[in-house]
Amino acid sequence: MIRFNSVHKWFKDLHVLNDINLEVKAGEVVVVCGPSGSGKSTLIRTVNQLETISQGEIWVDGVNVADPKTDLNALRAEVGFVFQHFNLYPHLSVLDNITLSPIQVKGMDKAAAEARAVQLLEKVGLAHKKDAFPAQLSGGQQQRVAIARGLAMDPRVMLFDEPTSALDPEMIGEVLKVMKDLALSGMTMMVVTHEMGFAREVADRVVFIDHGQVLESAAPAEFFSAPRTERAQQFLRQVLTPMR
Amino acid sequence: MNYHWDWAVFFKSTGIGDEIYLDWFVAGLGWTVAVALVAWCIALALGAVLGVMRTLPNKALSGVATAYVELFRNVPLLVQLFVWYFLVPDLLPERAQVWFKQELNPTTSAYLSVVACLAFFTAARVCEQVRTGIQALPRGQTMAAMAMGFSLPQVYRHVLLPQAFRIIIPPLTSEFLNIFKNSSVASLIGLMELLAQTKQTAEFSANLFEAFTLATLIYFVLNMSLMKGMGWLEKRVAVPGLIGSGGK
Amino acid sequence: MRFHQKLIASAVVGGLLVTPAFAEGTLDKIKKTGTITLGHRDSSIPFSYLANSPQPIGYSVDIANKVVDKLKKDLNMPNLQVKYNLVTSQTRIPLVQNGTVDLECGSTTNNLERQRQVDFSVGIFEIGTRLLTKKTSGVKDFPDLKGKNVVTTAGTTSERLLKSMNAEQGLGMNVISAKDHGESFLMLETGRAVAFMMDDVLLAGEMAKAKRPADWVVTGKPQSFEIYGCMMRKGDPAFKKTVDDAIRALYKSGEINKIYAKWFQSPVPPKNVNLNFPMSPEFKKLIQNPTDKSAEQM
Repeated sequence: MIRFNSVHKWFKDLHVLNDINLEVKAGEVVVVCGPSGSGKSTLIRTVNQLETISQGEIWVDGVNVADPKTDLNALRAEVGFVFQHFNLYPHLSVLDNITLSPIQVKGMDKAAAEARAVQLLEKVGLAHKKDAFPAQLSGGQQQRVAIARGLAMDPRVMLFDEPTSALDPEMIGEVLKVMKDLALSGMTMMVVTHEMGFAREVADRVVFIDHGQVLESAAPAEFFSAPRTERAQQFLRQVLTPMR
Repeated sequence: MNYHWDWAVFFKSTGIGDEIYLDWFVAGLGWTVAVALVAWCIALALGAVLGVMRTLPNKALSGVATAYVELFRNVPLLVQLFVWYFLVPDLLPERAQVWFKQELNPTTSAYLSVVACLAFFTAARVCEQVRTGIQALPRGQTMAAMAMGFSLPQVYRHVLLPQAFRIIIPPLTSEFLNIFKNSSVASLIGLMELLAQTKQTAEFSANLFEAFTLATLIYFVLNMSLMKGMGWLEKRVAVPGLIGSGGK
Repeated sequence: MRFHQKLIASAVVGGLLVTPAFAEGTLDKIKKTGTITLGHRDSSIPFSYLANSPQPIGYSVDIANKVVDKLKKDLNMPNLQVKYNLVTSQTRIPLVQNGTVDLECGSTTNNLERQRQVDFSVGIFEIGTRLLTKKTSGVKDFPDLKGKNVVTTAGTTSERLLKSMNAEQGLGMNVISAKDHGESFLMLETGRAVAFMMDDVLLAGEMAKAKRPADWVVTGKPQSFEIYGCMMRKGDPAFKKTVDDAIRALYKSGEINKIYAKWFQSPVPPKNVNLNFPMSPEFKKLIQNPTDKSAEQM
């Protein structure tokens, strides 16, 4: 579904992505982790070209996204993206947040878009909030709405960029649960997160990157029990025993 | 001070036909409103386009908008008015010049010049408000909209502008009031708006204080109603839950 | 009632205008302070204007100075100080009323509305309202203006007359009210108007300043006559008599002819143009029979 072929990105002198080769198969859930500044957020944003790359190829469902001829808007409509800070549209109700793109981008009929939105809201447990505005919701609720908004486009793949990092601890669980349900339904997912519990339980594969390089790519059981690189070992020690 | 007060002056004959001075004020107010409202609509539309242009990644477009703002904001309004009224018509082709200067009713040609002048002047100011409004929005809004497959025009239309305009209602209100006050420059090219009628009443009746008092009162009531109107608009479009949005 | 009006007045002008006590007349005030304040204009050429010095010059200023000379003699105050205070058409009446200016000699028409606010001296000039037009325009008199664009200066009697003609004779003119005489002439010059209606002497002034004075002509039967006068505070007969006597003396001695020739028939600063404006029969009559009435009262 997603394939990185020798992807490089420089930002001025900084080598942000260094020879990334990676594949996410259809139906697979891949967790990307690494220390802050490692390039993992940049990496996930290159998939729908919110970040450009300097060199290499990224194929999404048979389309090379780095090709200047690619219709990015059409590509992005097929790729759901969930942000760390939710980025809901504050001036629109929950329902309008979800239906805006289906109606405007896909030309969907308003009634159909709303019916689908309500369905998705039920799925994330927020049907009763459809007329609320984002500022009236908690962080966890906003992030669930953001997931529903991404799903409303019926994407081939969902990308999550640290979806729980901006949340209060008591809200993390509700968001992870929605993501887990989504994974179980067979969605292809690429998730940047520090939630190692989620990675262990839900991911098919864990990718560890540092200094813009993929250092490990393994099944969770293998990654957590026997990380091969020193840096991954150190990272795991820090995230698993934060209090030390 | 031995000033001869006469508040009944407004109901006295002006000596022209059967007009009374109050008629002049009514006519003047009509022109003031006609100038300000029409110029405002143009300024708002043009200013929004320019404001968007200034925030675009395209260097040429944002450069054009920047140059526009610098030009129209830094040349005094009066100078601009004289350019529109005396200079611009001379740049027209011969036939159009004759039409504009002689065949067109002089009130109409003065009106067109004032409206153009105020619209282009105020557009530069509106542009800056729109630009700051857009730039005040978190970058995540654009990112989120792009990630949902929106084209750039759609991002502006559905996500950025609705939010930016809500933010800038208060500064836009003051621009709106300003255009009413600035419309008094029309008196300098012979359009008999409120200030011109006031001066004329003062001159003809020699009851200067009464005339200017009434004008002050009219401007005051006008501004208060405009502010109330804009306040109502701000409340109406307020986003529930947002701090400082005026709504619950 | 008066008290109420004063209350309103102070509320209205926000204390901008201080109300001095005028128990005393202007003559007493001059004696006490050793100073007289003359109001003047900045560009009423050649009546009262500023040219190369900070002191105003002009026909009306010369007349005012003759009044000052008489005051010096009458009051036995050879060292009487003269202060000049700039006024505009909007400020001239209130500044006289509130005591800032004692005497305003400029180009102020004596009319009934103003007589309710101030007293006028005997007339110092008389004008007729006429037309300035291009020699080739074909306009000879007012009836030729039917359906045409005519410019005049805002707030002048000519403006009122033009609008009345439209209302009463159905001339269907488009009246343009320009902000000052210079702009009125610009409207005429740029072809926005075929004629400029104004006081004949002012028209002569604009014509003299034009690039090619010979292209222009002052024409048409005067639609009204107006007498210019000096303004002073109402109800001060002693001061008014001094002013009137000084002006009458100029007329009687014929000295007025010298002053007139200096400003209207010789080159005057700042551009040294000559208005070539001989004394009109109406003004000659006024000199014979000086009056402080307005032209409409005659």
